[in-house]
Amino acid sequence: MSIRLEHVSKLYGTQSVVRDVSLTVNAGELFVLLGASGSGKSTLLRLIAGLLPADSGTIWLHDQNVTHLPPQQRETGFVFQQYSLFRHMTIAENIAFGLEVRHVGRKEQHKQVQELLDLIGLADLGNRMPAQLSGGQQQRVALARALAYQPRVLLLDEPFGALDVQIRSQLRQNLREIQQRLGVTTILVTHDQEEAFELADRIGILSNGTLLEANTPNELYHAPKTRYTATFLGHANLIPAQRNGTHLYLGDYRLPAPAHTEHLANQAVELLCRPEELELTHTLEEQRGQVVGQGIVTSIAQSGRSVRVGVMLNGQFNETPLNILLPPSRQRELGLQTGQCVWVRVNEYHVLGTQTPL
Amino acid sequence: MRDLSPRSPITWMLIALVVGYALILFGLPIVTIVGSAFAKGIDPIVKTFNDPEVQHAILMTFALAGIAVVFNAIAGLITAWVLTRHHFPGKRLLDAMVDIPFVFSPVIAGYAMIVLFGRVGWFAPTLFPIVFALPGILLAKIFVSLPFVTRELQPVLESITPEQEHAAYTMGASRWLTFRRVILPEIWTALLYGLVLTFARAVGEFGAVAVVSGSIQGYTETATSFVFRALNDRNPSGAYSVSLVLMLVSLAILVVLNILKHRLVTRKG
Repeated sequence: MSIRLEHVSKLYGTQSVVRDVSLTVNAGELFVLLGASGSGKSTLLRLIAGLLPADSGTIWLHDQNVTHLPPQQRETGFVFQQYSLFRHMTIAENIAFGLEVRHVGRKEQHKQVQELLDLIGLADLGNRMPAQLSGGQQQRVALARALAYQPRVLLLDEPFGALDVQIRSQLRQNLREIQQRLGVTTILVTHDQEEAFELADRIGILSNGTLLEANTPNELYHAPKTRYTATFLGHANLIPAQRNGTHLYLGDYRLPAPAHTEHLANQAVELLCRPEELELTHTLEEQRGQVVGQGIVTSIAQSGRSVRVGVMLNGQFNETPLNILLPPSRQRELGLQTGQCVWVRVNEYHVLGTQTPL
Repeated sequence: MRDLSPRSPITWMLIALVVGYALILFGLPIVTIVGSAFAKGIDPIVKTFNDPEVQHAILMTFALAGIAVVFNAIAGLITAWVLTRHHFPGKRLLDAMVDIPFVFSPVIAGYAMIVLFGRVGWFAPTLFPIVFALPGILLAKIFVSLPFVTRELQPVLESITPEQEHAAYTMGASRWLTFRRVILPEIWTALLYGLVLTFARAVGEFGAVAVVSGSIQGYTETATSFVFRALNDRNPSGAYSVSLVLMLVSLAILVVLNILKHRLVTRKG
C-alpha cells in the first residue's frame, strides 16, 4: 500500500470541502482524481502533500502516518497547474533544487540533473531560464524537478490544464511513459474525463468533496455505482424500468436482469445504455434479442467518425430521449431520416437503483 | 532613434513648459548651490569642513540614516509580507496606515514624539533620553522613511505565487531556505530600490528631526539642521558647503535609483 487515506475531512470555515474520504492507492499505480471544479480534488491533493492541514482523518504514505508531518518531511513530488518554476534559476538549477536541499554533492547533482533532462527530452536546455521555454517544456521541467529527489509519491494538480490541446496529449504520453518506467505511485487531479481515461489505472470520482467510487476506467464507464458517475463519464442513456423476478420490465418489453442486481428486486430502476451499445432497425422482425422499444428519430448529426442519432423513445408512461452512436455504414444502410419510426435494441446494459441517496 | 514626426504648436508648448519648470525647480538650485559654495573660493569650504561640529553633524546624519535603513529593511519586509501573504481583520486599515508618514506633516510627527517620549511624556524613557538626544533623531528618521520598503515590495511579493513557495516546501526546503533561495532573489532589486529611497529620505529629513532633536550643536545637530542654522547666522558659505555634500549624495542616489529602476523593468522582479 502506498497512499492510504482514512476518513479524511477538511473544512474551510463552515464549508466542508473534503468529506470523509477513504482511499487506497497501490504502489506504482497512476490514480486519477476526477471531478468538476469545486469538487475538492485539489484540496485533497494538498492535504496529502501537507500543504493544508486535515481537520480529521489519517493519511499514510508507505505505511508511515504523515498526518501531522509538515510538507518538508512527507517527501512528495508536487506539480502545479501553473508550472511554478523558480524564475531566477536556470532549468538545471530548478531541477537540482530538491537535491541541493538534501545536500547531495555537486557532481552527483549534475549527473542526476542530466539524466532527468534526458528523461524529459530537454537535454540541451539546462542553461536556459524558465521564461525562455514554452509552457509544455516548463511543465516537463516541473515534472523533472518533482522527481529529482525520488519522492515517495508524485502528486499532479491539473498539470496539463494550462496547455494547448495538441501539446496536452503529447505530454500525457510522456507522463505515462515516465511514470511507468520509474514505477512511482502517482495521483493526478483533473476535470478532463478524456485525460482520466487515457492515463488512469484507476479513477476516483469526486463530487462535493465526497469520493463517490473508485474503479478502473472500464468498470466506471460500463458499470458505475452511481447516477452521477454514469452521467459524468460520457453520455448516459437512462431508461426507467422495473425489476421484478428475474427480469427488467420496460413497459411491454422485458430484458433479463443482470447478475448481482438482486438487491434491487421489486424496485424502480434505471437502465444505463451507452450510445454505442444501442442499435436501430426499421421493423421489429429485424430485431433479434433485447428490444427496448419504439421511437421517433429526432436528429441526425455527424460526430467524429460516427453518426449521432437522437431518438425519442415511446415508453408506457413517458418518453425518454436517447442518444445513439452508429457507424456511418450502418446509417447509410438504414437511410435514416428525422421523423422516421424505428425500433431500438440494446447490446450491453447496466442497472442503476433509483432509490440510492446518490 | 525614432523618426520625429511634425508636432503641433501645443505639443511644443507642453514640452517647453515641462523643460522650463524642470530647469527652474531642479536646475537652478543646483547651479545656485554649487555657485554659492565656491563664491569666495575654496578656503571657506575647507574651513567649514574643518569645523568639528560640522564633521559631527554630517557623520551623525549618515550614521543614523544607515541605522534607519537597516531597521526599515526588516520592518518594511515583514509589513509587506504580512500584507501580501496573510488575511486578518483590519488588514486594509493597516495597509492604509502604512502611508501615514507620507501624509502627516513631519513637524507634527516630531511634536507627537515629544509628547510621547519627552521627560514628562506618556512613555517617558527611564534608561536613556530619547527626545533632544540621538535616539529621538533616529526615531524621527525611521518614522518618516517607514513606507518606502513596504510599498516597493508589495507588488513584487504579490507577483510571486504561493505555489512557488509550496513547491519548495514539498521539495524539502525549510521556510527560511525557501525565503533565502526562492523569495529573496525575486524581490532583491525592489528591496534595494526601497532601501535607497529610505536612505535618501532619512538623510534629508529636517522637520521632524528639528523638533525632536533640539538641534544642540555638536550633539544633536544634523546636517540639514546645520544648513538651517548657518543660513540664519548669515554664514552662506557654511550652509552651501554642507548643502553641496547633501546634494552630491542625492545625485549619487539618483543614479543608483535609475540603474535599479532599469533592472526592475527589464528583469521583471
